[in-house]
Amino acid sequence: MTILQNIQNINWQGIRESKLYRRFASLKTSCILLCILVGFYTIGTIFPQDAQLDDYIKSGGRFISFVIFFDLLNIFNTPVFLIIAILLFINLVICTFERFLMLRSQNKTAAEDWQFTPAYTFPLDINQELESAEESVREIFKKELRFKEKASQTYGIYIMEKGWSYRWLTWAYHIAILFCFLGFLMTYLFSFEDEITLYPGEVAVIKPAAASRWNKSWGNSPQIFDFKLELAEFITEYNQLPKLEYPADKLSRLAFALGWKDPQYTLKEESYFPKDWKSRLKAIKGNMAVLEKTIEVNDPLSYQGITFYQAAYKQMLKIQVDDNPISFETETGKEIIIPGIDGMLKFGTIRIGTLFKKDGGMEKIRPFTEVTLVKKESSGKLAPDPPLYPLQGGDKGVGRGTETENIGKLEQDGAVYIDNKRISIKEFKEASILSYRYDPGVPLLWWSGIVVLLAMSFRVFGAWYRITYRIEEKDGASHLLIKVNTKGLIADEERLIKRLKHLLEKMTEPIDLDTPV
Amino acid sequence: MSNLETILSRDAYILSIEVRLFWFIALIYGICFILYIIHLTTKKTGPGRLATNMLWVAVITHVGLILLRTFEGQRAPFQTLYESLSWFAWSASITYLYVERKWKDIFLPGILVTSLAVGASLYALLARSPAVEPLSPPLQSYWFEWHVILAFLSYAVFVVSCSIEIVYLVIRSSVKKDLRLEYGLNKGNLETFHRTSFRLALFGFPLLTFGIFSGAAWANEAWGRYWGWDPKETWSLITWTVFAIYLHSMSIQKWKELPASLFNILGFICMLMTFIGVNWLARLLGIPSLHLYAM
Repeated sequence: MTILQNIQNINWQGIRESKLYRRFASLKTSCILLCILVGFYTIGTIFPQDAQLDDYIKSGGRFISFVIFFDLLNIFNTPVFLIIAILLFINLVICTFERFLMLRSQNKTAAEDWQFTPAYTFPLDINQELESAEESVREIFKKELRFKEKASQTYGIYIMEKGWSYRWLTWAYHIAILFCFLGFLMTYLFSFEDEITLYPGEVAVIKPAAASRWNKSWGNSPQIFDFKLELAEFITEYNQLPKLEYPADKLSRLAFALGWKDPQYTLKEESYFPKDWKSRLKAIKGNMAVLEKTIEVNDPLSYQGITFYQAAYKQMLKIQVDDNPISFETETGKEIIIPGIDGMLKFGTIRIGTLFKKDGGMEKIRPFTEVTLVKKESSGKLAPDPPLYPLQGGDKGVGRGTETENIGKLEQDGAVYIDNKRISIKEFKEASILSYRYDPGVPLLWWSGIVVLLAMSFRVFGAWYRITYRIEEKDGASHLLIKVNTKGLIADEERLIKRLKHLLEKMTEPIDLDTPV
Repeated sequence: MSNLETILSRDAYILSIEVRLFWFIALIYGICFILYIIHLTTKKTGPGRLATNMLWVAVITHVGLILLRTFEGQRAPFQTLYESLSWFAWSASITYLYVERKWKDIFLPGILVTSLAVGASLYALLARSPAVEPLSPPLQSYWFEWHVILAFLSYAVFVVSCSIEIVYLVIRSSVKKDLRLEYGLNKGNLETFHRTSFRLALFGFPLLTFGIFSGAAWANEAWGRYWGWDPKETWSLITWTVFAIYLHSMSIQKWKELPASLFNILGFICMLMTFIGVNWLARLLGIPSLHLYAM
């Protein structure tokens, strides 16, 4: 009660008239804050975000002291950025509030609306009393042109409108943007995420390593969920992908253009292109599966507010060398040293699952991998580290001073020979890597985003008209004086005026107002 | 010849037609560009009109090319950068032609539009592989088509908006000083012509908003978070913010002239960064990006 009284006792009018408030209610402030944010965003695209400082330095990162001082590798969580975002939020709140007050007051027609400079004048070529002409024109606007009367004055000025009010639509999407901010805030405070690696048949408890920011700030440990997750099956599918024989140099490409050469598709046995990765998951409570779903990229599983996504997969290999009973365990894509072999071995992704062939058929893949021998520089000097963020899809070099040799295809029951050593696969297993996330901000963002889009679309693409008119008698004849305001891209003032002119011309004949249009 | 070999030679044959057709279209874009330059230097309307007519030919042929690519790939034709560049050249040109119908004898904005169309086409043809690839798992989403079509439509609109803005800025002083006709522009139509630039940006803004929204919704489904400050995402946000500033600055009395025009041009530059520049930036600085499939 006291709080309410205190709030009521605040001098709101005084606050609204203060310089600071007025500054925050200004559009210019919005633009300045947005400009500052653009600066932050740009910096965020120059420095790798969420990267570790050591890794940044190792990969040749520059301006280290600046990076450390301004926390440039984590710029979107710095206090300065958050303060600017908060200031923009306050600016938006004040602007929408002020706009609301303005819109509410505009429901009552303002005095300036009645003083208008007409843009068009039409002679009303009818032999009617002025009042009757007024009535006829009014009916044209209402029945033929479907305007709604907003206000009228006893001395003959009418204001009519048609279409959704652009002012309210503008206000609506700004309010929805405010709700988006709240959605971002909820994500910032309450979301958490982690990863889980599961082998087929494995059951795991969902126990995220990190708590949400909110829980962390209160010293709470991460939440443990009362269900387990089982990977019932992991499926990989591939498309057969022909390779295009096409030159890289520009002159040869011109030769193609002129018809001197023709492109060619060739199909190697190992031309595999990922089609899909699927994990059949079961959510288990007690000893019962309460939910089962096969997830894939773009089709996650949601349970108890947590969403599980198909992120990647991991493959482990046990390599046998000759008949040695001790096998070497490695992960695909990583280098392994095997005694007696000059260099390191690297095993590529094990192709397994179903292959969808180019001719429409499909077949089960006999598991195989590609083996590469990686040799360092003969001087014994280690090659520099590979780039911190190796780009996918193309660059295969592992650094200067490193030599790679493709040994060939190693099938499950086959072998390859390196330095007189027989290398074979003893065993392999494949795991599904799932990321999971709890984010209570998403539903709010989803709905407010839809409102933003709808209101903005109606505002921009729609049509809103306001006409202000009066009928004046001059030199014994009646004239229609009219002003038109339009908003929205499909609003067409010219067409409206043309149609009005046509209807007014028709008015020379008495209009049968009783006949519905 | 086996079934597979027949399929491969058929695909290679269709691709050879497609690539040559694309070269032909690029050539017409190039001729249009030269004709617009002749119009600029001679101030005669003839070359401008001829360029516009030829641009119609290029755009209609380009529709055929896009349909052929769709048939080849059995999917929407904007997965790779090669395809996106082709789509960009076409969408910018057709948007320009649509807008230009209203402005008889004003051809100057065509210079920027055709230079971008020919630049995008040549970059695709000379530097990118035309190979048709199936959709990778992250791209197999109903958001894919919506996201790309709307984003590119907004890009096309921003290109034309910026072309008009630049023409306005360059020509306004000479038109205002002198009543003589300058490339079809005069005191009477200059401001209305300039207003088209604002209306186009206004048209493109909700499309870009939907492009970002659909991208976020898609990322939420595929990667488990709607926003990751990925360079491509961030540059799209920069573009959106700059255009938001532009649209707002048109309501500020002191800003609605030159500052607003500069924001419009800056928005266009940011749009180019989002589309092409960010790939270069990510490679140059070694910044990881989840959007590498589009690079």
